[in-house]
Amino acid sequence: MQLLGQATDIAPYANWMPPMLSEHGGQIDNLISVLHIFMAILFVAWGAFLTYTVIRFRARAGHKADYHPVKGKASKYAEIGIGLFEVFLLLGLSMPVWAAYKNNPPKADDRVEVRAIGEQFQWNFHYPGPDGVFGRTNAKFIDAASNTVGLDPDDPAGKDDIQTIGEMHIPVGKPIYVRVSSKDVIHSFAIPTMRVKQDCIPGMEIPIWFTAKEDATTERVKREMIQEFPVADVDWYRLRHHVAVQDYQDESGQVILKEGEGIGLSREAGEKKLKTLRDVTDTIKMQPRNPLEIICAQLCGNSHFKMKAQVFTYDAAGYQEWMDNAVPKEVEIDFGGF
Amino acid sequence: MSAAATEIPYDMEPHPLTRMYNGKFGIWLFLASEIMLFGALFSSYVLLRVGAPEGTWPIIGAPTVLGHEILNVPLAALNTVILISSSVTMLMSWYYLKENKFSRGQFFLLMTVLLSCGFLVVKYFEYNSKLHHYLVEFDAPLVVDGEQVSYSRTYPTAEGERTVHYLHGHITETVKDEDGYVEYYKFAADARKPDHGHAHDDGADHGDSHAGAHPEIELRPSDYRRMSNWGPAGSTFTGIYFTLTGLHGLHIVGGVVVMVYFLLTGGSMWKKLPDKYANRIECTGLYWHFVDLVWIFLFPVLYLL
Amino acid sequence: MSDHSHDLPFWKKYIFSVDHKMIGIQYTVTALVFLAIGFGMMLVMRYQLAYPNQPIPVIGQFLGEPIVAAVENPDTGETGYVLTGDGYNSFGAMHGTIMVFLAIVPLAVGGFGNFVLPLQCGAPDMAFPRLNMASYWTYLPGGILMMFGFFVKGGAANSGWTSYPPLATIATTGQTIWLLGMVILITSSLLGSVNFIVTVVQLRAKGLSFFRLPFFAWAQLVTAFLLLLAFPPLEAAGVLQLMDRVAGTSFFDPGGLIVSGVEQNTAGGGSPLLWQHLFWFLAHPEVYVLILPGLGIISEVIANNTRKPLWGYKSLVYSAIFLGFMSFIVWAHHMFMTGMGTTLSTFFQATTMIISVPSVIILTCLIISLWGASIRFTVPMLFALAFLPMFGIGGLTGLPLGLTASDIHLHDTYYVIGHFHYVVAPGTIFAMFAGIYYWFPKATGRKMNEWLGRIHFAGSFVFINAVFMPFFFMGMASVLRRQFDQTETLHGAAVQGLSVMSTWGAFGLAAFQLPFVFNFFWSIFAGERVGANPWHATTLEWSAPSPPPHGNFLSEPVVACGPYEYSVPGEAEDYTMQSPPPATA
Repeated sequence: MQLLGQATDIAPYANWMPPMLSEHGGQIDNLISVLHIFMAILFVAWGAFLTYTVIRFRARAGHKADYHPVKGKASKYAEIGIGLFEVFLLLGLSMPVWAAYKNNPPKADDRVEVRAIGEQFQWNFHYPGPDGVFGRTNAKFIDAASNTVGLDPDDPAGKDDIQTIGEMHIPVGKPIYVRVSSKDVIHSFAIPTMRVKQDCIPGMEIPIWFTAKEDATTERVKREMIQEFPVADVDWYRLRHHVAVQDYQDESGQVILKEGEGIGLSREAGEKKLKTLRDVTDTIKMQPRNPLEIICAQLCGNSHFKMKAQVFTYDAAGYQEWMDNAVPKEVEIDFGGF
Repeated sequence: MSAAATEIPYDMEPHPLTRMYNGKFGIWLFLASEIMLFGALFSSYVLLRVGAPEGTWPIIGAPTVLGHEILNVPLAALNTVILISSSVTMLMSWYYLKENKFSRGQFFLLMTVLLSCGFLVVKYFEYNSKLHHYLVEFDAPLVVDGEQVSYSRTYPTAEGERTVHYLHGHITETVKDEDGYVEYYKFAADARKPDHGHAHDDGADHGDSHAGAHPEIELRPSDYRRMSNWGPAGSTFTGIYFTLTGLHGLHIVGGVVVMVYFLLTGGSMWKKLPDKYANRIECTGLYWHFVDLVWIFLFPVLYLL
Repeated sequence: MSDHSHDLPFWKKYIFSVDHKMIGIQYTVTALVFLAIGFGMMLVMRYQLAYPNQPIPVIGQFLGEPIVAAVENPDTGETGYVLTGDGYNSFGAMHGTIMVFLAIVPLAVGGFGNFVLPLQCGAPDMAFPRLNMASYWTYLPGGILMMFGFFVKGGAANSGWTSYPPLATIATTGQTIWLLGMVILITSSLLGSVNFIVTVVQLRAKGLSFFRLPFFAWAQLVTAFLLLLAFPPLEAAGVLQLMDRVAGTSFFDPGGLIVSGVEQNTAGGGSPLLWQHLFWFLAHPEVYVLILPGLGIISEVIANNTRKPLWGYKSLVYSAIFLGFMSFIVWAHHMFMTGMGTTLSTFFQATTMIISVPSVIILTCLIISLWGASIRFTVPMLFALAFLPMFGIGGLTGLPLGLTASDIHLHDTYYVIGHFHYVVAPGTIFAMFAGIYYWFPKATGRKMNEWLGRIHFAGSFVFINAVFMPFFFMGMASVLRRQFDQTETLHGAAVQGLSVMSTWGAFGLAAFQLPFVFNFFWSIFAGERVGANPWHATTLEWSAPSPPPHGNFLSEPVVACGPYEYSVPGEAEDYTMQSPPPATA
């Protein structure tokens, strides 16, 4: 159901929502749209009534208040109508979506599993590898640099397991089954573009699942999110997560912004670069460096705001290629600098 | 200009709707909030017990989940009798005050205070014994000179089995090195508790070769995963036990303070406003009966179930 | 208990007073000071959010470590003081704590409740005057202790006002101080709530039956029951968390936690969710504690300034009672994302939908009360009229949060912050302002200046919307709450402009509070003098002199009618007092 405000295309922040890239996400966006229309109707109705009465019944010479209460069934019918609509929202739109989100996991043989383990302040990912079986883990094997999930070296099932920090690699079009947990405090695994969110409670491993839409490969999303920014009006904050899609040169032919390069890791450096760019061009075409972000949605300490990871979505061939080449590696998480 | 009336109505006489004077109504409301307080702790007890991993409730390695594996039931039963008696003496104090027999009333108030102190003394001994009793958790059986000195127990769980390795006992000596760090403890281990054939424990005893007490052993910090006394940090059971009984104990201390205040100053209020004094004792009595009632719940929940 | 106040020494009359009016004023002034402190913290946070990691101007140098860190500007060589992540989190946690527990509730309940309630009941004082004094003198030390957290190593509590373990368990000493402060504040609240209930039930004047009570009294009565019964579980939880922090227990610790690479050596076996259940069991009724007194004040002001009875008085009362009861069974809608199954979440979604009904009824009754009225636009009425749509926005935006499917997207985002701030800020705080302008003449015998009040209102109304309206859009864009620097994420950076707008709104809002502060103090000494009933109101407090003497009424009130007998046909005046004062010679 296409309604006002539904972000079905990969349009950056259509109606304030991030691009919607999962198969169940549309229903959530739908519910939010329906709700806001309902809320707007109620608010406008109340507001109109309020405005009307405030004007019509203002105190003035010759005007007296009426001691007797106004009669009429309108408010009773409105109240019942509102109640019934809320029941419809609950039973018709919310509960089925929530039930599917919680109760119908994809079948074990038809899903890609990954474990997401939050810690202060990074996301660790553990993939079962080609054999599809997770190796045993134990806290005593944890090494911050080389074995953040604590894979047991003696478990044969773990030999082909892949570990990454800050990167989740998944195929599109297939159900992804994420087992979410935490090493230390409560975190919350959230992917806004996939409309998933799940608290990571220490001592528990909670599964959630979603399917990225067929056309939502990272490369395609980045292409769709190319935007032209007016250089005079933007600041470094707006552009800090973007990279240029072409070279920008000054009069002497020197390249001041290369294709694929960002405008700077710190505000000082970024503002300087923007200043030079303003002399050269009116607009710059940029795309997000990494559009599919994983964020932490539960306060977890002083770097809670930096606890980010990136989702890389591939078509089937690309995913296979990644899996073949994957080795545990550190990713440079762009802290943005101070 | 001054007001028509400054006296608070229904301070002494009952209100037609509630049939209570203000103070009595107030105490009942306060008790309602106390029910919520202890209720929250009892609910926490339930959640903690249901959520405790196998073999950790009430303490690591216990043969059953019953509280009396580590608690002294006879002492607590004695305390129950003491506290119920104190409720009786409290009631008698109020009765005699209403009968205008001040010295009798004060006498029973004193009895209530003494019985409460008895309760607290018994509690002191209970707590003291826990704080000097230790548990030790091991990752793997501790073997000294080819002999296994730690105990093991295996418990059935939803995912299969879980084996814990442990010792309970007393520290007889702590030996420190020159820098002040503990080098080792001289530890007198308790005998392993026999299984009573309860369904909870499968009876299988993996790797345990001793049934009687060990002689003193030396325990180095590197030998074990965790050592703690049976105080609050021992297990979630000891934690909630100390919290529940400790909070209850604080309520007893509070009641005793109020009663001692009345014992010392009651005479002067009795001379001016005897009915008001009797009311105060009535309210104190209501509070006291509640404190007793909480114990009536605490005793079976913690000690018997 | 008849103290003759003119005989009392200064410290017994003003400091350790047992008179409910003096205690009400003490609560009001203390709460307003805390409100200003919490507001100030918010301004610093908003500056950081609009201009991330830029030095805090003017006051940055006074905040000290660990709140700020000194940073040298490489170009100019100047030292600036930049807010740190820990500093931001401590301001966030303390802003929430101060606003809820040290400012709004003490003002709404301790301030207005204490001052007005005995008068509206026709009583000479609260049922237990000395207990009343004890409740204030527990609140103040508790509040000071809370603030003391800023001066210990590691700074104040910084795990959110919600203090979720395990984060709160491993936090610095400030968290222990927070917990101790909470225990003391809860004690204060308990003492107060017992007093309020006994007063309303037992001390009502002759003829003042329950259904002749002003709605304000009903609101305070329900609020007192909520405080009485909902706070103890948080006290229990506070004790449990204190023990986890100090005594090494594992109530909220499942065991095996690895903090900064070090495995924690505890018994384990506990659950972080236990804290959440205990906390929200209080904290949900707490939000109704935050709004009900405000609804009570608005009702009084609307009845008075429409010159007619409130529409649906009985519906208002039954809705308030039902709301109070329901508030105990919705708490886990704050926990939808914790891994809750469908059975539990269905129950809480259903109760959350149901609880919206009495709120809607109350709001609708108040709006319909305007029909057939003769509306006077006094300053209290301006705030009351603005309250209605603002509370409407706050309540409506609760709907997407209360339904689990939409909550997936909106949980822990700025949408939540927008929702609850609309209810408390242009909601409750506007009601508080209305109450101050309305009852100031009763407390002081002087009226606050009308024009300064209008300026205060207009500026506040415009700028408070500028602060909070952007939050809904930021939340839809997935900007999360408690984020030191929202531009760290792609979507956060995309809507940074909204954050800047909100910050400038906050500064505008701050500027427009100055007329109020000036007006408040200036009017105490130089405001227009008024008599007992400057607003021509009907309820009992207006039968007493302004200010009322100790014992309140010159003649014992005897009530012969309901609380809102305005514009009674056939009467000479357009208001009929519940118990008219004696005619003065």
